[in-house]
Amino acid sequence: MAAGPLSLIAEVTHRCPLHCLYCSNPVEMQRAEAELGTEEWARVFGEAAAMGALHLHLTGGEPLARKDLPELIRSGRAAGLYVNMITSGVGMTEDRLAGLVDAGLEHLQLSFQDVEETSANYIAGTRAHALKEALVPVIRRSGVAFTINLVVHRMNLDRLEEFLAYAEALGPDRLEIAHVQYYGWALKNRALLMPTEEQVRRSLPVIEAAKARLKGRIHVEAVFPDYFGSFPKACMGGWGRRTMLIDPVGQALPCHAAGVIPGMVFDSVRERGLGWIWRESAAFERFRGDEWMSDTCLACPRKEQDFSGCRCQAFLLTGDAAAMDPVCVYSPEHERLVELRRPQPELLPVWREL
Amino acid sequence: MELSSVPRMAAGCRVHATQDVLLIPEGTLNLTGSAREILLRVDGEKSVERVVAELLQEYEGVDAREMQADVLGLLRRLEERGVVRA
Repeated sequence: MAAGPLSLIAEVTHRCPLHCLYCSNPVEMQRAEAELGTEEWARVFGEAAAMGALHLHLTGGEPLARKDLPELIRSGRAAGLYVNMITSGVGMTEDRLAGLVDAGLEHLQLSFQDVEETSANYIAGTRAHALKEALVPVIRRSGVAFTINLVVHRMNLDRLEEFLAYAEALGPDRLEIAHVQYYGWALKNRALLMPTEEQVRRSLPVIEAAKARLKGRIHVEAVFPDYFGSFPKACMGGWGRRTMLIDPVGQALPCHAAGVIPGMVFDSVRERGLGWIWRESAAFERFRGDEWMSDTCLACPRKEQDFSGCRCQAFLLTGDAAAMDPVCVYSPEHERLVELRRPQPELLPVWREL
Repeated sequence: MELSSVPRMAAGCRVHATQDVLLIPEGTLNLTGSAREILLRVDGEKSVERVVAELLQEYEGVDAREMQADVLGLLRRLEERGVVRA
């Protein structure tokens, strides 16, 4: 493994004012007292850039919960990284945003939970919708590149056309349509959130029409939800191949869900350099190459494209992290997924602590 | 995007200081051929025509029409992708 990671995801805190039903962060979150400090993050960003990383994604939790956010941005830029931030907007003011842009923030991503306030607040477990909406002109005035992320699932997918028109009027540079990923907390609400096959089918022409209509004005990104696919996604671009995630207390993970796989031990940037962790740590080595793959995958040319899919999903759906991702039609467990696509009884939502 | 247009990079899009990549929100685009040299001249002040003229001066012996087509082609593709604005 010669090349280093291309992106570094920095989960600078797990603290968050939102309690989204679809939160894919781990069920057990890291405590604020143990979070990495400003200097520790700066060292991590420097090491990542030295390994060839290009992008830094500041996320959480809510990055604004960190008082030192401008310093974190400044040290990311000083290291030579492109600095993105994913935020709920809660805690943002015009002054605070000006400080972040001044520190070098290049791109900000704000998600919306629904087109209609009551439903949006219900999904977010917080009254944040009106605040987000009011923040949009502030973000636009700041000049930072601005992406609106529409998180879609069974409860709002039928309103996608309306949702897209709403987002278009808010005037972002980019628009992402993101299906819920069933990891972490979101898995608890899967039966409630997973769309029906019919809903997904109906959403596709709506997305294509939006892409065509907005071309040259707003760039639209949409990823087909893999639960409805015949072949798995190349999760994270392959395990330990492109991305490194550092959690709030400094553990280095190949992806933010990897902690769900039993027996994984994650080295900490407090004890080891990033280069060693990337090249040598057991966690990053675990699913590199193809030695761990099933015979079916080994004989399949797609293994170079999708790397046998998502390890966390394989574990969550089959109990074996080295199994073929059951999204794959060749998986002996594919039937489990077909079963999940059938309409599920409506269940009551489970929120994170309120 | 026409010859008289004055293109600028969209917010959050910049050419990497040393590598042949364009950094954009949530990703990178690889820059091949003359793309890097073209984009380094996109500053919101020069017209497309001016960018072409500068490149012709820099690279002697290149056919002017070919250069014009290259520059317009690249900028139009990137405009469609939301990376360059005119």
